[in-house]
Amino acid sequence: MFPSRLRTGRWLSRILVLTAVLIGLSAVPTIAQTGVRPAALDYQLYTLDNGLTVILSEDHSTPIVHLQLVYHVGSKNERPGRTGFAHLFEHMMFKGSHNVRSDSHLSLISQVGGDGNGYTTEDTTTFLETVPAQYLPLVLWLEADRMATLRIDERTFEAEREVVKEERRWRYEDTPFGLLTELMYDQAYSVHPYKHSAIGSMEDLEAASVEDVQEFYDMYYVPENATLVLVGDFETPRALALVKQYFDRVQKARRPVPRDIEREPTQTEERRVTLTQSQNWPLPTVLVAHHITYDGHPDAYPLHIAAKVLSDGQSSRIYRRLVYENQLAVSAFGNGSLIEDPNLFYAVSVVQPGRTTTDSEKALIGELDRLKTELISEQELQQAKNQFARDYVFGRLTVEQKASHLAHAAVIHDDVTTVDAEFDVFMSVSREDVRRVAQTYFTKENRLILTILPQASVGRSFLRSGGSQ
Amino acid sequence: MKLAIFQPVTIILLAFLLLVVSVPTVAQRSTDWPRESPPPPLPAKEATFPHYEIRNLDNGLQVVLVKHHEQPAVNLRLMIGAGSASDPEGKSGVAALTGQLLAQGTTDLGATEIAEKVDAVGGVLDVGAGTELSFVNVLVMTDSFEFGIDFVGDIARNPSFTQAEIDRQRQQVLSGLRVSYDDPGYLAGVVFGRLVYGEHPYGMPPNGTPESVQQITRDDLQAFHNAYYAPNNALLAVVGDIDVDEAFLEVERVFGDWAQKAMPAVREMEMLQPAHRVVVVDKPGSLQTAIRVGHVALPRVSPDYQAFDVAIKILGGEGGNRLGSVLRTERSLTYSASADFVSRRFGGDFMGKTETRSAATAEVLRLMVDEVARLRGERVSPRELENAQAYLAGSFPLAIETPNAIAAQVLESLLYGLDLDDLPRYPNRINQLTVNDIQQVTQMHLQPESLSIVLVGEASAFLSDLQAAGFKDVEVMSIEDLDLESVDF
Repeated sequence: MFPSRLRTGRWLSRILVLTAVLIGLSAVPTIAQTGVRPAALDYQLYTLDNGLTVILSEDHSTPIVHLQLVYHVGSKNERPGRTGFAHLFEHMMFKGSHNVRSDSHLSLISQVGGDGNGYTTEDTTTFLETVPAQYLPLVLWLEADRMATLRIDERTFEAEREVVKEERRWRYEDTPFGLLTELMYDQAYSVHPYKHSAIGSMEDLEAASVEDVQEFYDMYYVPENATLVLVGDFETPRALALVKQYFDRVQKARRPVPRDIEREPTQTEERRVTLTQSQNWPLPTVLVAHHITYDGHPDAYPLHIAAKVLSDGQSSRIYRRLVYENQLAVSAFGNGSLIEDPNLFYAVSVVQPGRTTTDSEKALIGELDRLKTELISEQELQQAKNQFARDYVFGRLTVEQKASHLAHAAVIHDDVTTVDAEFDVFMSVSREDVRRVAQTYFTKENRLILTILPQASVGRSFLRSGGSQ
Repeated sequence: MKLAIFQPVTIILLAFLLLVVSVPTVAQRSTDWPRESPPPPLPAKEATFPHYEIRNLDNGLQVVLVKHHEQPAVNLRLMIGAGSASDPEGKSGVAALTGQLLAQGTTDLGATEIAEKVDAVGGVLDVGAGTELSFVNVLVMTDSFEFGIDFVGDIARNPSFTQAEIDRQRQQVLSGLRVSYDDPGYLAGVVFGRLVYGEHPYGMPPNGTPESVQQITRDDLQAFHNAYYAPNNALLAVVGDIDVDEAFLEVERVFGDWAQKAMPAVREMEMLQPAHRVVVVDKPGSLQTAIRVGHVALPRVSPDYQAFDVAIKILGGEGGNRLGSVLRTERSLTYSASADFVSRRFGGDFMGKTETRSAATAEVLRLMVDEVARLRGERVSPRELENAQAYLAGSFPLAIETPNAIAAQVLESLLYGLDLDDLPRYPNRINQLTVNDIQQVTQMHLQPESLSIVLVGEASAFLSDLQAAGFKDVEVMSIEDLDLESVDF
């Protein structure tokens, strides 16, 4: 149910472009604001008696339906000694329930032409299926079955733990730079669970037990801790009736979901750390990381704009200065990780052979500092907003993408209306806002400078010499 | 950061496993939960292949237009019908570097201006080359459509190839290769390519080697561009929030005066016959071994293509995946196991792939080779074929969700000269296949005795096990000695 785009918007934007061109003749070139605006999502919000949040959004453009079930539990809910458990648990959700045999969840979906998957982040665990529209009852039934009656046994648990250990080796340990963020978060945090990665340590994976699985399930896999989003080709009353048919019978939790997560104390002095990696670290790497705020805080929006100015596209400041002009880096970027609890804004440089980590460090800090001392230009601000509009538009093409945005707004912002309202917030960010947040967060005492060096490489000599400028 | 339970691209769909249902050691939460079978579907809705148009310019440029008004954005995709397979001999990486340089300067715009222009409107520019095509993709919002199409035209037609930008990009490629040579997956892929294709250009590393990239000159790039970037060797897709007639007029305006060229003769080379080899690339310190197993296979236009593709999906793809069942579900030996069939103009290859802990290397390799042999030696069960068909035919509505996905299917058909009327018939074509069809193509095209096998990992951890598992004549190479360009690799 997407209202057709307003045709007037197109003409208005053409006029704006024209105006910009005319102004451009007499002054510095100005970038026009794009006139496009993504269509607002049309949705209905419900809460079942057992506490399950339900969001339904009709989209009749293709005869398919996407289900996304988000549990508000991620790696930051893991207790000490059990890192990686939320993700390991997610794997267990594919191991059968009262009416579904182990490993047949996905085959039941594929046999109707559907795709299914699950993933775990620091804040949430998400299960998702896209199927031809007529199979909506099947995916609801499957999700309700494992929300209520997960089958947990020792043998399956131990076997799946081995799979997750292979995943850790493959994705992180045996991949060049695979441990980059794990090393950074470990250095940047002292007590908040963002200190550890979602995959967790081998030691903790090994220590987990089947009793932990049951405890986690009872604590977090309950209707009031879950948000069910459907986007696709259905009629809302019919879909709601089906949701109620399968989920109303899931029992309410017996106790409140714990939300006690240790706060990270304010960092008061600069941290400088140098590490050496013996494996899978082909080139020296410099990271500059600052503690920032959480997603949804008013400062979050100017921080996103700052990240775009630094790092979106080949005209962005970090790319231009470190990669293009000075060739200090093979790759360099900045990113504001804005998630549920205060996280990090970080800038990274993978150092070009023949260049020094010191040059990269100075350049990265220089770019962060510049945001504090100078206002970004009007053009940069407008460009960042246009890029943001593009992300918005291209990030809402599929039913899965739309559902992810709805789920994020409902779960992380606890306010589904932000799914559309944030667009205007971004468009109203000023240059002064960007400077203000830079001054707030990009301070010396609030930063970590992490240098990661390869251990004397045994790489090919021509690879080494082939790099120098 | 997110961690998916299954690799997104090759989601592992596990066939019905008749596992003994284990008794729960812990009681379930809802004790009165009913014993039920999966619910029946609602009435089916028809999925039809969405409307698209193909129009041609007089100079031979084929234009695919897909109108889709849901979001205010347009995607422009120009495809040139030549890629790394057309690299000059001894100069792997020319097509890739040519593609990269397109974004680094035209006769009117410097690299900096190109970046500024596309970033200013919130657009995205993507250039590069694959094996048989090169591309310029531009994403813009609707109100920048005219800019976008002018931009694609300028970038594809008027590159300046300045020496300074060539040197800069060459350095990027060299540094990139340095990282890639530390990546077991990359190494396994390029070595597999050489084993399977021999000297055929399909087997050369598309981004070149540290040696070949240093040999490439400005003249090579200019010559590649002069030879292949021509309207009669190109396809353009204009996809999204457009009016088809208006968009076509814009295409005519920008590309109408692009002159045709005589295309160079295609270097048609015979595919090698599969020959059994086991190559270990020693990467000390690795925790896992990257394993690749396969051999050459059919060209895209082969009448056996569809049946062979389904056979390989049963081995390791969506809707089937015996490798996933055997290695992950039953034995917890890997996170991901799959098989792919890549098919091009003159031939293709199939490849089973996985990563496993070093100690399990020989066991996993034995299981993979045995699965290839079983696919040839035994008829697939009707149930397995039905499941694969149900997925492949049933997922048709998922495959036509976005205008880009629609355009990609049309472009592939045009690129290989396939019948466009087959696109809407895809579900029927899949459902017509029988167990006999699958057996026929696996018997004709699979040679389990002649597999190319690549293992990248800590050689000392598994070499002796390989002997015991029946793999003789194992060749061990160090990364330092790896010469991907050598004629007799």
